[in-house]
Amino acid sequence: MERRVLPQARRGTARATSWRKLALGASIALGLVAAAPLSAQAAAPSACAALQEKYPDWKGKTLVNAINPHTPGYETIDPKDPSKYIGFDIDLGEAIGECLGFKLTYKPVTFAALLTTLAAGQADIVISDIYATKERAKAADFITYSKVFDGVLVAKGNPKGINGINISMCGAAAAENTGYVEVPLIQALIPECKKAGKPEPTIQLYDNNANCIQAILAGRADTYINDVNTVDSAVKAYPDKLEKAIAVTIPYSVGIAVPKDKPKFRDAVLAALIEVQKAGTHMELLKKHGLDVNNFKEPDILTAD
Amino acid sequence: MSLFLHYLSMPYLLEGIELTLEVTALGLGGGLILGLILAGMQLSRFWLLAAIARAYTVIFRGTPLILQMVFAYDALPHIGIKLPAVLAAGLALACNEAPFIAEMLRAGVLGVDRGQLTAGQALGMTPSVLMRRVIAPQAIRTMIPAFGNEAVSALKNSSLASVVAVQELTLRSTQLASSTFDFFSIFFASGLLYLVLTATISVIQLFVEWLLDLDRTTRRERKLADYLPWRRVDLATKLELADATVADPDPAELADTPPLALTREERARRATTIARNNIAVEAKDLTKSYGPQKVLDGLDLTVRVGEVVALLGPSGSGKSTLLRCINHLENWDAGTLRVGGRRLGFDENGKRLSPRAIANERASVGVGMVFQQFNLFAHLSAKENVAGPLRWVHGMTRIDADRRATELLDRVGLSHRADALPRHLSGGQQQRVAIARALAPNPSVLLLDEPTSALDPELVNEVLEVIRRLAIDDGLTMIISTHQIRFADEVADRVAFLSGGAIIEEGPAHEVLTNPRNPLTARFLSVMEADKTPEAVR
Repeated sequence: MERRVLPQARRGTARATSWRKLALGASIALGLVAAAPLSAQAAAPSACAALQEKYPDWKGKTLVNAINPHTPGYETIDPKDPSKYIGFDIDLGEAIGECLGFKLTYKPVTFAALLTTLAAGQADIVISDIYATKERAKAADFITYSKVFDGVLVAKGNPKGINGINISMCGAAAAENTGYVEVPLIQALIPECKKAGKPEPTIQLYDNNANCIQAILAGRADTYINDVNTVDSAVKAYPDKLEKAIAVTIPYSVGIAVPKDKPKFRDAVLAALIEVQKAGTHMELLKKHGLDVNNFKEPDILTAD
Repeated sequence: MSLFLHYLSMPYLLEGIELTLEVTALGLGGGLILGLILAGMQLSRFWLLAAIARAYTVIFRGTPLILQMVFAYDALPHIGIKLPAVLAAGLALACNEAPFIAEMLRAGVLGVDRGQLTAGQALGMTPSVLMRRVIAPQAIRTMIPAFGNEAVSALKNSSLASVVAVQELTLRSTQLASSTFDFFSIFFASGLLYLVLTATISVIQLFVEWLLDLDRTTRRERKLADYLPWRRVDLATKLELADATVADPDPAELADTPPLALTREERARRATTIARNNIAVEAKDLTKSYGPQKVLDGLDLTVRVGEVVALLGPSGSGKSTLLRCINHLENWDAGTLRVGGRRLGFDENGKRLSPRAIANERASVGVGMVFQQFNLFAHLSAKENVAGPLRWVHGMTRIDADRRATELLDRVGLSHRADALPRHLSGGQQQRVAIARALAPNPSVLLLDEPTSALDPELVNEVLEVIRRLAIDDGLTMIISTHQIRFADEVADRVAFLSGGAIIEEGPAHEVLTNPRNPLTARFLSVMEADKTPEAVR
């Protein structure tokens, strides 16, 4: 049944506090911002209308978006109203849906189950800060939309002196989420550490960001490498106990996953994303959620072949 | 602390409880239905059903629930079954609970005393009546604590539904923790919510235990508070309880008739009358083996209406087996058995009967049976033991059955103990109730299998006295296997001495007992006489 296609995966996060501020001051001023996708979209209604004519299959439908809502800034529940999900990915998905004429409901699953849920037909689309890799493309087609920067989260003072995904991690314990792309990167250090005559790094696999962060707070793990925004928000939540050792680049892009057997849907989402970017909505949403605008990326398709 | 209270009262988490309960209810309800089916299959006569059930148990008890959840949710859609998340989780939980519940059910059913089942069969209960009236009420009582366990475990296991996107309490807690970083406050709050739910199940379990407590319905009520963990229902309380039901002296009792041994002339008169009567029971060339061992070896026996026959002989000589064959509780290998002229075990076309048809045959032929171990239905009062089978097997109304039960309990001197449970009766009293129960449907023949062997010596007489009256006052046809030589001499018209599955000597009781011809009989009698000498006929 399940194709075990996601030995690794990952995703990032945003700043917990940034949207808190937003939520406050913004709830007033942000009648606008919240409506941003709408107004931005309104900028190109003719283009979206044309798309809806070209891809009529999803107009008026309600699709299911599988998410792993543990990544502040990208997707979490709204602590003010936990029946809702908020974050950059949520807004982006709704902007795309608006353009193609469909609505979204959300299905929260573990990170490792995102693509299996899609493959089982229990979801129609995955917009959940998942990195598009060749390996994962065996399970789903991706429309990439964002560059990736990782941060290295360590305990305050960086007692192990970790400075990246390199031999400074030898002998360290890294907390990671099951299925994240960082896992094989760290595993790749094992022979290097051996060659240098140092102990191997170990990996502890958890289910979500909160558990990885708790592992460092409890002294079980020395580091947690994840999207830089996630790392920043963790440091903000525990400024006395955590710090970001360094930011590193990772050679992947974040992608929207769609079923492999629906190329038409893939093309429709790609076209809609292009329109959303043209209207400036993508950039606005990055700012709204306190994310680095350098994440912005022109869309591409990534498939297995 | 305030954060903890904030999350404890947060509607978002409280609403998660609803889904937690939904998944739990689906899991338990579905598990109970599936478990019933599985237990039925495992207990069935057909080996294939049992094997399938066993295989199911191995698979679903042997794989983690979390895999089963993912399977129900992500794999079933590939074969076209796309269940909503709550149903998929409920299905997985039900499939997982079923083997555990099935084993509980099986243990409960097998735990019911076999003797009671035999007694129920002997009374003509069909397998389904037996299950409904005797097995289930007792099994359910013993299974409640295990069910409580299972319910608590299902509730906790429902948290695994979080892996298939069911927004239950655990999933809501983890999502909330990820968005707020208030890790511990949230998990303490959701832990407490789980605790409240499981504690509620415990309270329900104790309440049901109290509700079904048999002692509650008898005179001395046990209070619900007795079930609190720090309460000890100690020995003193129990004695008091037993006192309340047992202590009253048997009033009136059976003492008002003089001992009823017959004179020689009376015996002769009886013998001539009986010789003219119809045949009540006729065994011809009855043969039965357990493996290589022959228990009945071409046995012939004829009993006439109104006749009392005592079966004597050493243990293992075939007395009990013969009685059990006459009531068709056991099958025989060869030979024929007729009761009231009807051939047992076969329909008019000579076809073998099913268990259900045999039960109906027993009820219509009218053979009552009294067992060495009494075999009263432990969950029913003395009166219900008598009245129940009349309603369930013979279709009597409650009023008629109760009237008949009262009348019979009066006859065995136990009308004042009608509401007592068997375990609050002495052995002698239990056996008298058992006799009343066997007499209730007006059997044409009463079989008594060593009716006093399990009794303390001082209790033997009260039972023998009841049997003696049945023989002499009521002229009931009886076959009694016994070691009470003196009793046999007083009550039986005829004794038959069994050895090795055949009758080696039979004849008028007094004659055989005082002047045996077969050396085996003589030796057996002399051993028994070391204890008791048959009294000379007055």
